[in-house]
Amino acid sequence: MIIMSRVKLAFISLLSFGIFLAHAQTEKLQDEKELEVVNFNSIKKVLQKDGLSQAALEKKEQVAILKEEQNALEKERFNYPTEDELWGLASEFWLIKNAQILGWDFEKPDYGLDKSFRETLENLGFYQKKFRILMVNTPTVVHASLPGSDGTSIFLLSVPFIRSLDLTKLEISLLLFEDFLRLEQGYFKKSVSSEKMKTLAGTNFYGQKVDMSFMEEMLKSYSTQINQKGFSFQQQFETTKKMDSYLKARPELWNVYYRLLGKINSFIKTNVQYKDYVKLYPSPEMQLKWIGPEEKTL
Amino acid sequence: MILLYFFLSLFSYAETVATDEKVVGVFYMTPLFGHVHQSPIRTSASLTTIQCAHPLKVIESSKVSVSAEWAYVQVADYKGFILRSYLSERKPKCIQGTYPKFFDALNLDLSELYYWGRLYDHYVESETRVH
Repeated sequence: MIIMSRVKLAFISLLSFGIFLAHAQTEKLQDEKELEVVNFNSIKKVLQKDGLSQAALEKKEQVAILKEEQNALEKERFNYPTEDELWGLASEFWLIKNAQILGWDFEKPDYGLDKSFRETLENLGFYQKKFRILMVNTPTVVHASLPGSDGTSIFLLSVPFIRSLDLTKLEISLLLFEDFLRLEQGYFKKSVSSEKMKTLAGTNFYGQKVDMSFMEEMLKSYSTQINQKGFSFQQQFETTKKMDSYLKARPELWNVYYRLLGKINSFIKTNVQYKDYVKLYPSPEMQLKWIGPEEKTL
Repeated sequence: MILLYFFLSLFSYAETVATDEKVVGVFYMTPLFGHVHQSPIRTSASLTTIQCAHPLKVIESSKVSVSAEWAYVQVADYKGFILRSYLSERKPKCIQGTYPKFFDALNLDLSELYYWGRLYDHYVESETRVH
Protein backbone atom coordinates (compact mmCIF):
# COMPACT_ATOMS: atom_id res chain seq x y z
CA MET A 1 0.00 0.00 0.00
CA ILE A 2 2.76 2.36 1.02
CA ILE A 3 4.76 1.37 -2.02
CA MET A 4 1.73 2.05 -4.25
CA SER A 5 1.22 5.53 -2.83
CA ARG A 6 4.95 6.39 -3.25
CA VAL A 7 4.81 5.29 -6.88
CA LYS A 8 1.71 7.50 -7.39
CA LEU A 9 3.45 10.50 -5.82
CA ALA A 10 6.51 9.97 -7.96
CA PHE A 11 4.35 9.71 -11.06
CA ILE A 12 2.46 12.92 -10.19
CA SER A 13 5.73 14.78 -9.50
CA LEU A 14 7.14 13.58 -12.78
CA LEU A 15 4.00 14.63 -14.62
CA SER A 16 3.97 18.10 -12.98
CA PHE A 17 7.64 18.59 -13.86
CA GLY A 18 6.90 17.51 -17.40
CA ILE A 19 3.99 19.98 -17.73
CA PHE A 20 6.11 22.79 -16.22
CA LEU A 21 8.94 22.01 -18.60
CA ALA A 22 6.62 21.96 -21.59
CA HIS A 23 5.00 25.25 -20.50
CA ALA A 24 8.39 26.90 -19.99
CA GLN A 25 9.47 25.75 -23.41
CA THR A 26 6.30 27.26 -25.06
CA GLU A 27 6.81 30.62 -23.27
CA LYS A 28 10.41 30.84 -24.47
CA LEU A 29 9.30 30.18 -27.97
CA GLN A 30 6.71 32.98 -27.69
CA ASP A 31 9.39 35.42 -26.45
CA GLU A 32 11.61 34.44 -29.27
CA LYS A 33 8.77 35.10 -31.72
CA GLU A 34 8.21 38.51 -30.19
CA LEU A 35 11.89 39.22 -30.32
CA GLU A 36 11.92 38.31 -33.94
CA VAL A 37 9.14 40.79 -34.60
CA VAL A 38 10.87 43.67 -32.84
CA ASN A 39 14.26 42.76 -34.06
CA PHE A 40 14.73 45.13 -37.02
CA ASN A 41 17.63 43.08 -38.35
CA SER A 42 15.41 40.10 -38.98
CA ILE A 43 12.96 42.16 -41.08
CA LYS A 44 15.50 44.56 -42.48
CA LYS A 45 15.70 42.72 -45.72
CA VAL A 46 11.90 42.72 -46.05
CA LEU A 47 11.72 46.44 -45.33
CA GLN A 48 14.49 47.19 -47.77
CA LYS A 49 12.80 45.07 -50.38
CA ASP A 50 9.52 46.98 -49.89
CA GLY A 51 11.32 50.36 -49.84
CA LEU A 52 9.94 50.98 -46.36
CA SER A 53 13.26 51.81 -44.77
CA GLN A 54 13.78 54.47 -47.47
CA ALA A 55 10.31 55.85 -46.78
CA ALA A 56 11.09 55.97 -43.05
CA LEU A 57 14.29 57.87 -43.77
CA GLU A 58 12.51 60.31 -46.05
CA LYS A 59 9.82 60.83 -43.41
CA LYS A 60 12.51 61.53 -40.83
CA GLU A 61 14.14 64.07 -43.14
CA GLN A 62 10.77 65.67 -43.89
CA VAL A 63 10.03 66.05 -40.19
CA ALA A 64 13.45 67.62 -39.66
CA ILE A 65 12.85 70.09 -42.52
CA LEU A 66 9.38 70.96 -41.20
CA LYS A 67 10.80 71.49 -37.74
CA GLU A 68 13.50 73.74 -39.14
CA GLU A 69 10.94 75.74 -41.12
CA GLN A 70 8.76 76.06 -38.05
CA ASN A 71 11.71 77.36 -36.06
CA ALA A 72 12.59 79.81 -38.82
CA LEU A 73 8.98 81.06 -38.88
CA GLU A 74 9.00 81.47 -35.12
CA LYS A 75 12.27 83.40 -35.36
CA GLU A 76 10.85 85.62 -38.12
CA ARG A 77 8.21 86.83 -35.69
CA PHE A 78 11.04 88.57 -33.87
CA ASN A 79 12.23 90.62 -36.89
CA TYR A 80 12.55 94.40 -36.87
CA PRO A 81 10.78 95.97 -39.86
CA THR A 82 12.92 97.11 -42.78
CA GLU A 83 14.16 100.70 -42.93
CA ASP A 84 11.47 101.69 -45.44
CA GLU A 85 8.73 100.16 -43.29
CA LEU A 86 10.14 101.82 -40.17
CA TRP A 87 9.96 105.28 -41.78
CA GLY A 88 6.29 104.81 -42.63
CA LEU A 89 5.53 103.44 -39.19
CA ALA A 90 7.45 106.20 -37.38
CA SER A 91 5.74 108.96 -39.42
CA GLU A 92 2.28 107.63 -38.66
CA PHE A 93 3.14 106.92 -35.02
CA TRP A 94 4.29 110.55 -34.68
CA LEU A 95 0.99 111.73 -36.18
CA ILE A 96 -0.93 109.54 -33.71
CA LYS A 97 1.12 110.72 -30.72
CA ASN A 98 0.55 114.36 -31.76
CA ALA A 99 -3.07 114.01 -32.85
CA GLN A 100 -4.37 116.48 -30.26
CA ILE A 101 -1.64 119.07 -30.88
CA LEU A 102 -2.01 118.91 -34.64
CA GLY A 103 -5.79 118.70 -34.42
CA TRP A 104 -6.22 116.70 -37.61
CA ASP A 105 -9.32 114.82 -36.41
CA PHE A 106 -11.84 117.45 -37.48
CA GLU A 107 -14.46 117.93 -40.15
CA LYS A 108 -13.32 119.91 -43.17
CA PRO A 109 -14.52 120.50 -46.70
CA ASP A 110 -13.14 118.60 -49.64
CA TYR A 111 -10.57 120.94 -51.15
CA GLY A 112 -10.06 118.68 -54.16
CA LEU A 113 -6.33 118.58 -53.49
CA ASP A 114 -5.93 114.93 -54.48
CA LYS A 115 -6.84 115.77 -58.07
CA SER A 116 -5.10 119.14 -58.18
CA PHE A 117 -1.79 117.94 -56.69
CA ARG A 118 -1.83 114.76 -58.78
CA GLU A 119 -2.23 116.83 -61.94
CA THR A 120 0.57 119.19 -60.88
CA LEU A 121 2.94 116.28 -60.31
CA GLU A 122 2.00 114.68 -63.62
CA ASN A 123 2.40 118.02 -65.47
CA LEU A 124 5.89 118.27 -64.07
CA GLY A 125 6.75 114.72 -65.08
CA PHE A 126 6.45 112.84 -61.79
CA TYR A 127 4.75 109.50 -62.41
CA GLN A 128 3.81 106.59 -60.14
CA LYS A 129 4.11 108.76 -57.06
CA LYS A 130 1.86 107.91 -54.13
CA PHE A 131 0.90 110.67 -51.71
CA ARG A 132 -1.27 111.29 -48.70
CA ILE A 133 -2.35 114.75 -47.54
CA LEU A 134 -3.43 115.36 -43.96
CA MET A 135 -5.09 118.68 -43.22
CA VAL A 136 -4.25 119.94 -39.74
CA ASN A 137 -6.24 122.42 -37.72
CA THR A 138 -3.35 124.39 -36.24
CA PRO A 139 -1.22 127.37 -37.24
CA THR A 140 1.87 125.90 -35.53
CA VAL A 141 2.62 123.32 -38.21
CA VAL A 142 2.09 125.22 -41.44
CA HIS A 143 3.21 122.63 -43.98
CA ALA A 144 5.57 119.66 -43.87
CA SER A 145 6.34 116.42 -45.62
CA LEU A 146 7.07 113.08 -43.94
CA PRO A 147 8.38 109.86 -45.43
CA GLY A 148 5.88 107.02 -45.74
CA SER A 149 6.42 103.36 -46.60
CA ASP A 150 6.62 102.03 -50.12
CA GLY A 151 7.56 105.39 -51.68
CA THR A 152 4.54 107.24 -50.30
CA SER A 153 4.91 110.87 -49.29
CA ILE A 154 2.82 112.21 -46.40
CA PHE A 155 2.03 115.94 -46.48
CA LEU A 156 0.77 118.06 -43.61
CA LEU A 157 -1.05 121.25 -44.45
CA SER A 158 -2.50 123.81 -42.07
CA VAL A 159 -6.11 124.75 -42.82
CA PRO A 160 -5.90 128.07 -40.86
CA PHE A 161 -2.82 128.98 -42.96
CA ILE A 162 -4.34 128.28 -46.37
CA ARG A 163 -7.56 130.01 -45.32
CA SER A 164 -5.79 133.10 -44.00
CA LEU A 165 -3.77 133.40 -47.19
CA ASP A 166 -6.76 132.48 -49.32
CA LEU A 167 -4.60 130.16 -51.41
CA THR A 168 -5.88 128.67 -54.64
CA LYS A 169 -5.68 124.93 -55.37
CA LEU A 170 -2.77 125.53 -57.70
CA GLU A 171 -0.89 127.60 -55.12
CA ILE A 172 -1.43 124.87 -52.53
CA SER A 173 -0.24 122.25 -55.01
CA LEU A 174 2.97 124.21 -55.62
CA LEU A 175 3.53 124.58 -51.89
CA LEU A 176 3.13 120.80 -51.60
CA PHE A 177 5.45 120.31 -54.56
CA GLU A 178 8.13 122.32 -52.76
CA ASP A 179 7.74 119.95 -49.77
CA PHE A 180 7.81 117.00 -52.15
CA LEU A 181 11.20 118.13 -53.49
CA ARG A 182 12.56 118.53 -49.94
CA LEU A 183 11.52 114.97 -49.20
CA GLU A 184 13.01 113.69 -52.46
CA GLN A 185 16.26 115.42 -51.56
CA GLY A 186 16.27 113.38 -48.33
CA TYR A 187 16.66 116.38 -46.00
CA PHE A 188 14.10 115.08 -43.52
CA LYS A 189 15.51 111.56 -43.30
CA LYS A 190 19.03 112.91 -42.94
CA SER A 191 17.99 115.10 -40.05
CA VAL A 192 15.81 112.58 -38.21
CA SER A 193 17.53 109.25 -38.86
CA SER A 194 19.51 107.54 -36.09
CA GLU A 195 22.43 105.15 -36.39
CA LYS A 196 20.67 102.67 -34.13
CA MET A 197 17.65 102.58 -36.41
CA LYS A 198 19.85 101.89 -39.43
CA THR A 199 21.69 99.11 -37.58
CA LEU A 200 18.59 97.40 -36.23
CA ALA A 201 16.31 97.71 -39.29
CA GLY A 202 15.63 94.32 -40.83
CA THR A 203 17.53 92.40 -38.16
CA ASN A 204 16.26 89.81 -35.70
CA PHE A 205 15.96 89.98 -31.90
CA TYR A 206 15.06 86.36 -31.18
CA GLY A 207 16.25 85.44 -27.68
CA GLN A 208 16.92 89.10 -26.87
CA LYS A 209 14.91 91.98 -25.51
CA VAL A 210 13.39 94.19 -28.20
CA ASP A 211 15.11 97.60 -28.35
CA MET A 212 12.54 100.34 -28.88
CA SER A 213 14.77 103.22 -27.77
CA PHE A 214 15.44 104.17 -31.40
CA MET A 215 11.71 104.71 -32.00
CA GLU A 216 11.54 107.11 -29.04
CA GLU A 217 14.62 108.91 -30.36
CA MET A 218 13.07 109.17 -33.81
CA LEU A 219 9.79 110.54 -32.49
CA LYS A 220 11.67 113.23 -30.56
CA SER A 221 13.69 114.10 -33.66
CA TYR A 222 10.47 114.32 -35.69
CA SER A 223 9.10 116.93 -33.27
CA THR A 224 12.37 118.88 -33.24
CA GLN A 225 12.65 118.87 -37.02
CA ILE A 226 9.02 119.86 -37.65
CA ASN A 227 8.55 122.39 -34.84
CA GLN A 228 11.98 123.90 -34.22
CA LYS A 229 14.82 122.98 -36.53
CA GLY A 230 13.34 123.19 -39.99
CA PHE A 231 15.65 123.56 -42.99
CA SER A 232 18.97 125.32 -43.48
CA PHE A 233 19.62 128.23 -45.84
CA GLN A 234 21.60 125.89 -48.06
CA GLN A 235 18.75 123.38 -48.23
CA GLN A 236 16.26 126.15 -48.94
CA PHE A 237 18.48 127.55 -51.66
CA GLU A 238 18.77 124.15 -53.32
CA THR A 239 15.00 123.56 -53.09
CA THR A 240 14.16 127.00 -54.47
CA LYS A 241 16.60 126.61 -57.35
CA LYS A 242 15.09 123.20 -58.14
CA MET A 243 11.60 124.69 -58.12
CA ASP A 244 12.87 127.41 -60.45
CA SER A 245 14.31 124.90 -62.92
CA TYR A 246 11.20 122.65 -62.88
CA LEU A 247 8.80 125.55 -63.31
CA LYS A 248 10.75 127.61 -65.81
CA ALA A 249 9.50 125.49 -68.69
CA ARG A 250 5.95 126.38 -67.61
CA PRO A 251 5.82 130.13 -67.14
CA GLU A 252 2.21 130.07 -65.92
CA LEU A 253 3.26 127.80 -63.01
CA TRP A 254 6.43 129.78 -62.38
CA ASN A 255 4.39 133.00 -62.05
CA VAL A 256 2.00 131.33 -59.60
CA TYR A 257 4.95 130.11 -57.51
CA TYR A 258 6.58 133.53 -57.50
CA ARG A 259 3.31 135.15 -56.49
CA LEU A 260 2.86 132.52 -53.75
CA LEU A 261 6.27 133.30 -52.24
CA GLY A 262 5.38 136.99 -52.26
CA LYS A 263 2.06 136.28 -50.54
CA ILE A 264 3.72 134.17 -47.82
CA ASN A 265 6.49 136.75 -47.35
CA SER A 266 4.14 139.64 -46.68
CA PHE A 267 1.73 137.48 -44.63
CA ILE A 268 4.30 136.17 -42.14
CA LYS A 269 5.73 139.63 -41.66
CA THR A 270 2.41 140.99 -40.54
CA ASN A 271 1.04 137.98 -38.63
CA VAL A 272 2.53 137.20 -35.21
CA GLN A 273 1.08 133.67 -35.22
CA TYR A 274 3.49 132.75 -38.00
CA LYS A 275 6.59 134.52 -36.71
CA ASP A 276 8.50 131.22 -36.48
CA TYR A 277 7.89 130.35 -40.12
CA VAL A 278 11.17 131.93 -41.26
CA LYS A 279 13.11 129.82 -38.74
CA LEU A 280 11.73 126.65 -40.33
CA TYR A 281 11.77 127.77 -43.96
CA PRO A 282 14.35 130.53 -44.37
CA SER A 283 13.11 132.64 -45.93
CA PRO A 284 10.44 133.60 -48.47
CA GLU A 285 12.17 136.96 -48.88
CA MET A 286 15.44 135.26 -49.79
CA GLN A 287 13.64 132.76 -52.03
CA LEU A 288 12.17 135.65 -54.00
CA LYS A 289 15.65 137.11 -54.46
CA TRP A 290 17.15 133.76 -55.46
CA ILE A 291 14.75 133.22 -58.32
CA GLY A 292 13.59 136.75 -59.07
CA PRO A 293 14.84 138.72 -62.06
CA GLU A 294 18.03 140.59 -61.30
CA GLU A 295 17.59 144.29 -60.69
CA LYS A 296 19.73 146.29 -63.01
CA THR A 297 21.16 149.53 -61.72
CA LEU A 298 21.17 152.31 -64.24
CA MET B 1 -59.25 83.12 -37.20
CA ILE B 2 -58.02 86.67 -36.60
CA LEU B 3 -55.35 85.32 -34.29
CA LEU B 4 -54.20 82.84 -36.95
CA TYR B 5 -54.03 85.61 -39.55
CA PHE B 6 -52.01 87.74 -37.11
CA PHE B 7 -49.46 84.96 -36.53
CA LEU B 8 -49.19 84.21 -40.25
CA SER B 9 -48.48 87.85 -41.09
CA LEU B 10 -45.93 88.03 -38.26
CA PHE B 11 -44.07 85.02 -39.66
CA SER B 12 -44.06 86.40 -43.19
CA TYR B 13 -42.71 89.74 -41.87
CA ALA B 14 -39.94 87.98 -40.00
CA GLU B 15 -39.04 86.10 -43.16
CA THR B 16 -38.85 89.34 -45.17
CA VAL B 17 -36.53 90.93 -42.60
CA ALA B 18 -34.30 87.88 -42.46
CA THR B 19 -33.95 87.41 -46.20
CA ASP B 20 -33.68 91.09 -47.07
CA GLU B 21 -30.00 91.33 -46.18
CA LYS B 22 -27.64 89.38 -48.37
CA VAL B 23 -23.98 88.72 -47.66
CA VAL B 24 -22.09 89.67 -50.83
CA GLY B 25 -18.81 88.26 -49.64
CA VAL B 26 -16.10 88.27 -47.02
CA PHE B 27 -13.45 90.94 -47.46
CA TYR B 28 -10.36 91.90 -45.49
CA MET B 29 -9.29 95.20 -43.99
CA THR B 30 -6.18 96.61 -45.68
CA PRO B 31 -5.00 99.69 -43.70
CA LEU B 32 -3.18 99.25 -40.41
CA PHE B 33 -6.30 100.23 -38.45
CA GLY B 34 -9.74 101.47 -39.37
CA HIS B 35 -13.23 102.17 -38.11
CA VAL B 36 -16.62 100.76 -38.90
CA HIS B 37 -18.69 103.93 -39.08
CA GLN B 38 -22.21 104.61 -37.94
CA SER B 39 -22.98 106.39 -41.23
CA PRO B 40 -21.21 106.60 -44.61
CA ILE B 41 -19.30 109.77 -43.73
CA ARG B 42 -15.58 109.81 -42.95
CA THR B 43 -16.03 111.78 -39.73
CA SER B 44 -19.07 109.88 -38.45
CA ALA B 45 -18.92 108.07 -35.10
CA SER B 46 -17.01 104.83 -34.84
CA LEU B 47 -18.87 101.64 -33.97
CA THR B 48 -15.73 99.59 -33.58
CA THR B 49 -12.03 99.70 -34.44
CA ILE B 50 -10.60 96.89 -36.52
CA GLN B 51 -7.09 96.14 -37.65
CA CYS B 52 -5.45 95.04 -40.87
CA ALA B 53 -6.53 91.60 -42.22
CA HIS B 54 -9.68 91.56 -40.10
CA PRO B 55 -12.51 89.82 -42.06
CA LEU B 56 -15.69 91.78 -42.75
CA LYS B 57 -18.95 90.61 -44.28
CA VAL B 58 -20.13 92.99 -47.00
CA ILE B 59 -23.91 93.15 -46.96
CA GLU B 60 -26.46 94.25 -49.52
CA SER B 61 -29.76 95.43 -48.20
CA SER B 62 -32.74 97.10 -49.83
CA LYS B 63 -33.09 99.21 -46.71
CA VAL B 64 -29.56 100.61 -46.86
CA SER B 65 -28.31 102.53 -49.86
CA VAL B 66 -24.70 103.64 -50.04
CA SER B 67 -22.56 105.41 -52.62
CA ALA B 68 -19.97 103.45 -54.59
CA GLU B 69 -17.28 104.79 -52.25
CA TRP B 70 -18.74 103.02 -49.21
CA ALA B 71 -19.62 99.46 -48.25
CA TYR B 72 -22.23 98.32 -45.75
CA VAL B 73 -20.51 95.75 -43.57
CA GLN B 74 -20.93 93.50 -40.58
CA VAL B 75 -18.20 92.88 -38.02
CA ALA B 76 -19.20 90.70 -35.07
CA ASP B 77 -22.49 92.26 -33.90
CA TYR B 78 -21.83 95.63 -35.49
CA LYS B 79 -23.31 96.70 -38.79
CA GLY B 80 -21.91 99.88 -40.26
CA PHE B 81 -19.99 101.51 -43.07
CA ILE B 82 -16.43 101.39 -44.29
CA LEU B 83 -14.63 102.86 -47.30
CA ARG B 84 -14.53 100.32 -50.14
CA SER B 85 -10.95 101.25 -50.95
CA TYR B 86 -9.96 99.74 -47.59
CA LEU B 87 -11.32 96.30 -48.46
CA SER B 88 -9.56 93.49 -50.24
CA GLU B 89 -10.81 90.13 -51.44
CA ARG B 90 -7.52 88.54 -50.44
CA LYS B 91 -5.98 88.54 -47.00
CA PRO B 92 -3.40 91.34 -47.07
CA LYS B 93 0.13 91.26 -45.70
CA CYS B 94 0.06 93.50 -42.66
CA ILE B 95 2.88 94.99 -40.65
CA GLN B 96 1.40 93.74 -37.37
CA GLY B 97 1.23 90.24 -38.83
CA THR B 98 4.71 90.31 -40.33
CA TYR B 99 6.42 91.81 -37.27
CA PRO B 100 4.13 90.80 -34.39
CA LYS B 101 6.69 90.99 -31.60
CA PHE B 102 7.96 94.42 -32.68
CA PHE B 103 4.42 95.71 -33.11
CA ASP B 104 3.43 94.47 -29.63
CA ALA B 105 6.40 96.35 -28.22
CA LEU B 106 4.90 99.65 -29.46
CA ASN B 107 2.39 99.19 -26.60
CA LEU B 108 -0.41 101.06 -28.31
CA ASP B 109 -3.13 102.18 -25.93
CA LEU B 110 -6.82 102.40 -26.80
CA SER B 111 -6.72 106.07 -27.74
CA GLU B 112 -3.76 105.46 -30.07
CA LEU B 113 -5.61 102.59 -31.74
CA TYR B 114 -8.60 104.88 -32.17
CA TYR B 115 -6.52 107.70 -33.67
CA TRP B 116 -4.63 105.35 -35.98
CA GLY B 117 -7.97 104.26 -37.43
CA ARG B 118 -9.10 107.88 -37.72
CA LEU B 119 -5.89 108.83 -39.50
CA TYR B 120 -6.83 106.71 -42.50
CA ASP B 121 -10.27 108.34 -42.58
CA HIS B 122 -8.68 111.78 -42.81
CA TYR B 123 -6.00 111.10 -45.40
CA VAL B 124 -6.61 112.60 -48.83
CA GLU B 125 -4.71 110.16 -50.99
CA SER B 126 -3.92 109.55 -54.60
CA GLU B 127 -1.24 108.32 -56.99
CA THR B 128 0.07 109.77 -60.21
CA ARG B 129 -0.46 107.66 -63.29
CA VAL B 130 2.07 105.36 -64.89
CA HIS B 131 4.04 107.16 -67.60
